[in-house]
Amino acid sequence: MFVTDIRKEFYEAVADQRVALLVASDIDALCACRILQALFQCDQVQYTLIPVAGWQDLGTAFLEHKDQFKYFVLINCGANVDLLELLQPDDDSIFFICDTHRPVDVVNVYNDTQIKLLIKQDDDLGVPSYDEIFRDDDEDEEGGDSGNESDEGTEPSGKRRRFDEGSVERRIERQREKREWEARRREILFDYEQYEYHGTSAAMMFFELAWVLTKDTKDMLWWAIIGLTDQWVHDKVTHMKYVTDIATMQRHVSRHNHRNEDEENSLSIDCMRISFEYDLRLTLYQHWSLYESISNSCYTCCHFKLWTLNGQKKLQEFLADMGLPLKQVRQKFTSMDMSIKENLREVIEESSNKYGMKDIRIQTFGVHFGFKNRFLASDMVHATTALLESTEKDENETDNFIKALDSLSRSNLERLHSGMDLAKKKLIAIQQTVASCICTNLILSQGPFLYCYLMEGTPDVKLFSKPMALTLLSKYLLRAFIQSTRNKRCRLLPLIMAAPKDVEKGTVLVVGIPPESETSDKKNFFGRAFEKAAESTSSRTLHDHFDTSIIELKTEDRSKFLDALITLLS
Amino acid sequence: MDPSEVEFLAEKELVKIIPNFNLDKLYLIGGDLGPFNPGLPLYVPVWLALNLKQRQKCRVVPPDWMDVEKLEEMRELERNAATFTPAPCPYYMELTKLLLNHASDNIPKADEIRTLVKDIWDTRIAKLRLSADSFITQQEAHAKLDNLTLMEINTIRGFLLESLNCMYKLRSNLQPGSSKGPLADY
Repeated sequence: MFVTDIRKEFYEAVADQRVALLVASDIDALCACRILQALFQCDQVQYTLIPVAGWQDLGTAFLEHKDQFKYFVLINCGANVDLLELLQPDDDSIFFICDTHRPVDVVNVYNDTQIKLLIKQDDDLGVPSYDEIFRDDDEDEEGGDSGNESDEGTEPSGKRRRFDEGSVERRIERQREKREWEARRREILFDYEQYEYHGTSAAMMFFELAWVLTKDTKDMLWWAIIGLTDQWVHDKVTHMKYVTDIATMQRHVSRHNHRNEDEENSLSIDCMRISFEYDLRLTLYQHWSLYESISNSCYTCCHFKLWTLNGQKKLQEFLADMGLPLKQVRQKFTSMDMSIKENLREVIEESSNKYGMKDIRIQTFGVHFGFKNRFLASDMVHATTALLESTEKDENETDNFIKALDSLSRSNLERLHSGMDLAKKKLIAIQQTVASCICTNLILSQGPFLYCYLMEGTPDVKLFSKPMALTLLSKYLLRAFIQSTRNKRCRLLPLIMAAPKDVEKGTVLVVGIPPESETSDKKNFFGRAFEKAAESTSSRTLHDHFDTSIIELKTEDRSKFLDALITLLS
Repeated sequence: MDPSEVEFLAEKELVKIIPNFNLDKLYLIGGDLGPFNPGLPLYVPVWLALNLKQRQKCRVVPPDWMDVEKLEEMRELERNAATFTPAPCPYYMELTKLLLNHASDNIPKADEIRTLVKDIWDTRIAKLRLSADSFITQQEAHAKLDNLTLMEINTIRGFLLESLNCMYKLRSNLQPGSSKGPLADY
């Protein structure tokens, strides 16, 4: 059921209990977790933090902890499957789920006792009404079925068989009705569960909880902003939704900024200041050189087509057009001349309009504390993602999770900077892979979708054994492909990307993303498609990830899986 | 004594806070802490004030001496006087550090205050060093210093005692026929 008063029904219920926090591995979940941890520390609530990477982890963690805890808070996991069936909990375990994955499973919505959804009811859900899916059948006189989810109504009508003409007709009528209802129900559920998409950020939900408790601080506001920006960077929400959420956050930011500062009593330089910025879409440009940032940001790279020689020339023209000398542009941003940095944003916007890049600026937020530290929200998202999915040796997933969580606090700036270095390496690797895929025509059109497979020996292919990195690569690749292909039909196709995940076990990671378009609603149908294809060919797959469009597959079964998908989707 | 011990002792000082919660009177070993009512200021020890501040349960009011004009005056007095003037507060250095690190959003002009307090500290420590230097070189027998705070005493204590010990060793070794002998080692 949906929680209406988040303070009474959630916070006050758990405040004097011990709670288990099960947190998924994405930045939005990390930020939400941070906010909740800060709130728990204020009220000295005992909690245990358990990072989970997939459904199996969730199951094991639950089994380990179910004896000690009654209250479980799940962040960014658990809403899109029937949780009670998956975990088989005792009757007194209560689950609070704050998840951005949609569609929310209907059993989770309509369960009144054990499952409480920390999701706003109007958050773009479209849940079918109760009567359309569940049916209490107590009209049947002949001891027929009762309760939810009636099966095919061919159960024998019991021992009290009456040889009454009228009643036989009525029975046939009821059975026909039931079959029709069944068919309608299947259709409704199929439509509801066909597409997978994302709702409002979990970090924003918990920030609202903090706000209702009047315990919100600038730190929590900044984490909520990072959670929202993560959804935008990894392309999980539509542009409209992002802009609407930014407006909500902007109200909170102005409220915090007006609270403390006025002419006479200026705030210490070490205090955190968050400001609304209409800043450039160049990734990490303030912590890198402008030239590198332009060459490695998806937006500019795809528009200039920087993998071609022509594209490189155009970039030089672009820089010359703005009057930026190459020497300046290639050095670290912080060491560029002040005269150039002053109007940089407007100058770049003007020039990019000439080159066809109308949206070079995006609405976002920046933070600034101390004399040296200025960060944009997207910088932090990239740095933390790189730490979370770092593929250095001797690091297991829990360590990465803790490191990424630490990098979000203000006192761990060296960790954040190391994350930014990793993010730069990752971005360079992504651009090089995209360039090589396009130049060597590795993207094949398979009919209903495009397909690309990264071979084992590709440089930096280890980086792409992680789901978020591979998803980012696929999105960049699709955009670059659309710019470079002449075939109009191919531009509207979705993309399936496969990369080797574990060389010893011989598995690949397969990711499917929806087609790229201006008005795309980011709804992904590959989850169900993968499941059906795996079933029909009995390929050895592991649907472990919380996003159903990311699966692990045995390398040998790759071709028959693909064939099944092609037949399914054409 | 460790500087952190001095800071621990400083945390017993009282500071004014404005809580935002309700609680009855607390009876602790060190004394009673008055009933907490939202919006009504009261005095609590610094350790409790910082804990409540970190849990967002109160607002800290800066002490009277933590004001830019007063500190500027004190700095001028300190620079002009030859001996030590009375310090703003017996634990001014520790309180400044604690309050400005944890509650700087409640204290106006926090950066200037930090600079002023550091200036006062530097002047006093310079005077202390000069005084210790002359005490040692002129081999005086006793000295009297007023208006020193525990933190300043603690800073000079190690050096002063060690150097006096060394001087004593050297002097006792120079005297002929000393019972300890020329190669005595401590």
